[in-house]
Amino acid sequence: MTTVVYPARKIITMNPMQAEATHVAVRDGRVLGVGDLAELASWGPYTLDERFKDKVLMPGLIEGHCHLKEGSMWDMHYLGWFDRRDPLGKVWAGLRSMDAVVERLTQVDANMTAQGKPATEPLLAWGFDPIYFGGERMTVDHLDRASATRPIVIAHANGHLMNVNSAMLKLAEITAENEVEGVVKFKGGAQSGEPTGELQEPAAMFLVIRKIGTAGLLAPMTEAGVASFAALACMQGVTTATDLVNKLTPHDCTVLENVLTNDACSVRILPAFQAFHGTHGAALGAEHVNSLMPRNSDRLRYGLVKMMLDGSIQGFSSRMRWPGHFNGEPNGIWVTSPEQFEADFETYHRAGLQIHTHTNGDEASEVAINAIERILARAPRADHRHTLQHGQMIDAPMFRRMASLGLCANLFANHLWYWGDQHYEMTMGPDRANRLDACGSALAAGVPLAIHSDAPVTPLGPIFTAWCAVNRITPKGRLLGESERLSVPQALHAITLGAAWTLKLDHEIGSIECGKRADFCVLEDDPLTVDPALLKDVRVWGTVLSGRVFEARKV
Amino acid sequence: MTKRLPLTVIGGFLGSGKTSLLNHWLRNANGQRLAVLVNDFGSLNIDADLIQSNAGDTIELTNGCVCCQISDDLSLALIKILDSAELFSAVVVEASGVSDPWRIAQIGRADPGLLLDGVVVTVNADSFLAQMADPMLSDTLVRQLKAASLVVLNHCDLTTPDTVQQVREKIARIVDTTPMFEARHAEVPLPMLTGLSLPAHDALPAQAAAADCTCEAEDHPHSHAHSHSHGHGHAHGHADPELGAGLSHGDIFETWSSRPTRIFSLADLKDRMKTPPSGLLRLKGFVPTGLPDQPVWYEIQFAGKYGSLRVTPSASLKAGVVAIGLSGQLPRKLLADFFA
Repeated sequence: MTTVVYPARKIITMNPMQAEATHVAVRDGRVLGVGDLAELASWGPYTLDERFKDKVLMPGLIEGHCHLKEGSMWDMHYLGWFDRRDPLGKVWAGLRSMDAVVERLTQVDANMTAQGKPATEPLLAWGFDPIYFGGERMTVDHLDRASATRPIVIAHANGHLMNVNSAMLKLAEITAENEVEGVVKFKGGAQSGEPTGELQEPAAMFLVIRKIGTAGLLAPMTEAGVASFAALACMQGVTTATDLVNKLTPHDCTVLENVLTNDACSVRILPAFQAFHGTHGAALGAEHVNSLMPRNSDRLRYGLVKMMLDGSIQGFSSRMRWPGHFNGEPNGIWVTSPEQFEADFETYHRAGLQIHTHTNGDEASEVAINAIERILARAPRADHRHTLQHGQMIDAPMFRRMASLGLCANLFANHLWYWGDQHYEMTMGPDRANRLDACGSALAAGVPLAIHSDAPVTPLGPIFTAWCAVNRITPKGRLLGESERLSVPQALHAITLGAAWTLKLDHEIGSIECGKRADFCVLEDDPLTVDPALLKDVRVWGTVLSGRVFEARKV
Repeated sequence: MTKRLPLTVIGGFLGSGKTSLLNHWLRNANGQRLAVLVNDFGSLNIDADLIQSNAGDTIELTNGCVCCQISDDLSLALIKILDSAELFSAVVVEASGVSDPWRIAQIGRADPGLLLDGVVVTVNADSFLAQMADPMLSDTLVRQLKAASLVVLNHCDLTTPDTVQQVREKIARIVDTTPMFEARHAEVPLPMLTGLSLPAHDALPAQAAAADCTCEAEDHPHSHAHSHSHGHGHAHGHADPELGAGLSHGDIFETWSSRPTRIFSLADLKDRMKTPPSGLLRLKGFVPTGLPDQPVWYEIQFAGKYGSLRVTPSASLKAGVVAIGLSGQLPRKLLADFFA
């Protein structure tokens, strides 16, 4: 039984009884005490570990809505508009022109060749988003400059599109003859009628997926991918994260258990069972989740359930109430019909499980609230903490209903930055964009609040997510709904105790106080004293997870 | 050229009869070796004596059909089937209750190994009007109907003829000329579901344009055209026991076929496929286009409202076209004028 006492420049505890301190004592992976050295010394002998004496400690950050895929995306090559850090700590600069994209692909192709990879091995890339290129479309003319021989496949950031080069078109037998509208063709010019290499929607993309198989986006979960996720989490100060949709097949569970039972793993994972698309009847699904929970360990917690009602706002597939899309697009789609949702939700609810429901558009959120209200009347259950995930268009009246039903909100604050301008200009228009991810209204109504990245949709990084919720600034400089801004302490709460509450772990993690897990986010800078506009630039040194210290990788 | 596998997509809301339709088709497959992809085995009700083996995500039936659970990714499930395409005569995909079946159907138009054989959308005649009155559901329903090459009005026995008439009128306003079929227990004659029930072009009489044949589609020797391509023995002569009761195909369908002798213009064919004559349920065949001394052969296929034309190697091809429609409704003259 050893006790380690860490002095720090400052400890932000998130415990209102003792908001700040200078020392924390750790024993058996848990917090023994918080205070000054004299108070902690009263517990008896200790080792003084001064490695954090110039650092700022916070509770380990909690990402309540992300996916382990954030780690394995890096098996492909990154082509995004924004800078992004890979699991080795290298920051890949955002690519702001087609030429820059071609240049990176040319390098990758040369590297592959240098590594002795055959010219038939496809080059797979991700993160490209034409929404930022002002109408310029990528075609085979660009990609063939990178390689005319090696098949190249670029998955767009929105998941609905792909670009491929001529070699891939040939391999997939995609010609001018193809009748599907998703195979985009050149209009006019020497190549008129020939495919441009842009493939839209599943049918057209299927032709490519058929040839490259389970490489890339459809790849099954691997141990290396989970380890990469853990490395990325450490760089962002994250000690607990969800994998917010997982089929939990025997293969999935084996991978999770192999990686997460190893003490060298720096993250705690809560996988959420995929309770939609009908792989199991709801009753079987609930039984499956309950049967896994006895296998829980510190770093692996089964028990969450994920349901999904609609699509995405920027993909025009979310379900919106009147007046619908700003640009007149028709309403989006149901992923699960409202009737099926209510029936399945009730089954999981009655089985005692906690359900996280994806609702992007406000009609989907309203359907969820209505259904849960009826279910709770039929089957009351104290402290269920069912959570609406994304909830991007929820307004104050809906938040008030959520509060009265005991529902939590985990809002997608990163959208404010990544798609705030598109929401203002295209998807929902000014009024509703100004209350996008209305964190202020949620707190005012008394709804327990977390905020998230949905990584890999946007990069994992709760401090960045907090910056989004605090500033509500878009890339074009718009301020979206000043009154919905969070204060920095409110935002830090949302990425620690707030998220812990939505995962039913607030008794264990989310603050630094006696009895809780010794989970720390170790910072170089003090988020409470930096200019809030610069909160995103606060540097992370690494983490402590249940008393084990992990320094983030650096390049 | 490898054989293109016909793809049928079955769409429709929960409770509209998609699974009943699949069960019906599987029970009456009549030698068609179907690969059926479903969302959930839970609701499939396959007779125990029809099940040969059951291995997790795949159930093999004694009649040569196979059912696979889509699990999560339709692409992967479909790739599995296409990798062993020679084992099957058709693939049938059940779309989820709220999805747009057109998104899946497009795969049948896109993939060189597939051929879109139809989009069957089942509608619960008893609850349709209420669903259409719900603004949260009506747009999904309309999307599904617009994708359909055949609308099956199911559960007609559970409601009044008056309601069925109202449902028909409402659907007709949405989908215009798409064929509709009134059913109970989703019992739809196979020739409406699949082009497999049409005689193959190479089984046509060797001569004569517009060779008439009042076809009994399934219980007629025409169906042998399929048997030799997959070596399946008992394809012939099985009258469908359920359909047989009061529904003779000879009474409800008629077919028309032709061995055209002329060269077609591709543009004309495309136009014809875009604006098919009303009364035509299905049409398929092979026709030459272009120049007489250097013809380019096309495989032509039409189902309900979707037409498709694809270049096909010309080796050993003879021109031939087969069409089917409801008795008395097949536009024989228009077909004869065009395909003569």
